Amino acid sequence: MKKVGTIVLMLALVIGGAIFFPVGKPHVQLPAEKIGELAGIPITNTMTAAWATIIVLSLLFFFATRKMQMVPGRLQCLAEAAIEVLLGLSDSIAGKEKSRMFFPLVGSFFLYIMVSNWMGLLPGYTTIGLIETIEGEHGEVEQLLLPLFRSANTDLNTTLALAIVSVVATQFYGIRALGTFSYIGRFFTLKGPMDFFVGILETVSEIAKIISFSFRLFGNVFAGEVLLGVMVFLVPWVASVPFMGLELFVGAIQAFVFMLLTLVFLTVATTGHGGEHETEHGKAH
Amino acid sequence: MDALGINGTGLLAQLINFALLLIILRAVAYKPIMNMLDQRAAKIRESVENAERIKQQLASAQQEYAAQIEQSRKESQAIIAQANQIADRIHQEAQESARREAEDFLAKAQGQIEREKRQAMAELRREVGDLAILAASKIVARSLDDEAQYRLIEETLRDSEKFSNN
Repeated sequence: MKKVGTIVLMLALVIGGAIFFPVGKPHVQLPAEKIGELAGIPITNTMTAAWATIIVLSLLFFFATRKMQMVPGRLQCLAEAAIEVLLGLSDSIAGKEKSRMFFPLVGSFFLYIMVSNWMGLLPGYTTIGLIETIEGEHGEVEQLLLPLFRSANTDLNTTLALAIVSVVATQFYGIRALGTFSYIGRFFTLKGPMDFFVGILETVSEIAKIISFSFRLFGNVFAGEVLLGVMVFLVPWVASVPFMGLELFVGAIQAFVFMLLTLVFLTVATTGHGGEHETEHGKAH
Repeated sequence: MDALGINGTGLLAQLINFALLLIILRAVAYKPIMNMLDQRAAKIRESVENAERIKQQLASAQQEYAAQIEQSRKESQAIIAQANQIADRIHQEAQESARREAEDFLAKAQGQIEREKRQAMAELRREVGDLAILAASKIVARSLDDEAQYRLIEETLRDSEKFSNN
């Protein structure tokens, strides 16, 4: 009886929602919408979302670590658990020593991307905003919603910025660990035509990394946003709930992938061709 | 690039955002938490080591304790054995002295008995002699001079002594 009741209620919600509260077609727009200007700099809704993420993360960790105790309270415990899990993952990939060096960067990638993605699923993101009235050529009036917040990673600027940081950090740590010449030797060498060609491939792959990093993250999150919009358009109530769960999963996975790939690239870049010997040599610089 | 929404200011802004986040998180998250994790790990390691040490100490203390008990057991056994020995000796001595005393007493008693016996015997002999003389004088009825009488009595007595000695 209970099960049947639940199903009937769900169906009623689906049908009722579709009939009485229809939702408009999602407005799909690739670039982030500009919602204002601050000292001549255009402020987009993905920027506000990025700030919101930064504020949430900062406050969370600020309050969690304000009074550090040997026996942690709930919030401190949560923060410690999060960091410990990420640090353990980092340790297992990069090894204990390097992990400590890379962790602030890769941990920030993870936290920033995941919290951004999850906050993007909050009600209010892409739904609360300014109404912009556009007048068409023939005098018809179109009203457009300019959301105040839009998930930060649905903007290529954000993901590209993260990708650039990741790849630049890889070069930086690579040079620091192996020494300038040794590191550049990976991309440009005159040892032979084969090595020269491999060097070109390596160079291309570094640039490709930026693109793959940024577009993978952007594509996943943006597609998730569109998927949710379309689902809500098709069946306003109930049906989009499972997709919310899916997007939570995708959001975490993308953060995980970004962190892991960066970590792997960092580890590879700081490990010399000749293994231990060259690493030792690099350290001497 | 424009169609994708990529522009210089946006990119720069996001770079700055991320750098800012990195700096903030480093200050409020990674440093304090990693410090705390390290501290806690150190403390746990220390505690475990302490526990191990205490366990070892306990084990050695127990060993020592057992050794001491063993030692004192041995000592007490030695003391008991010694005491037993002493008791034995005292016992033996007491027995010895008692025996000696008894022997002395016995000897003395025997001596007295002997003396009394001899005295009695002497008395008896005299009486028997008298009696014999009386009897003999009556039997013989003739007078022997006293000297001859005594010689006869002596002889008789000697014979009787021989008998009694046998």
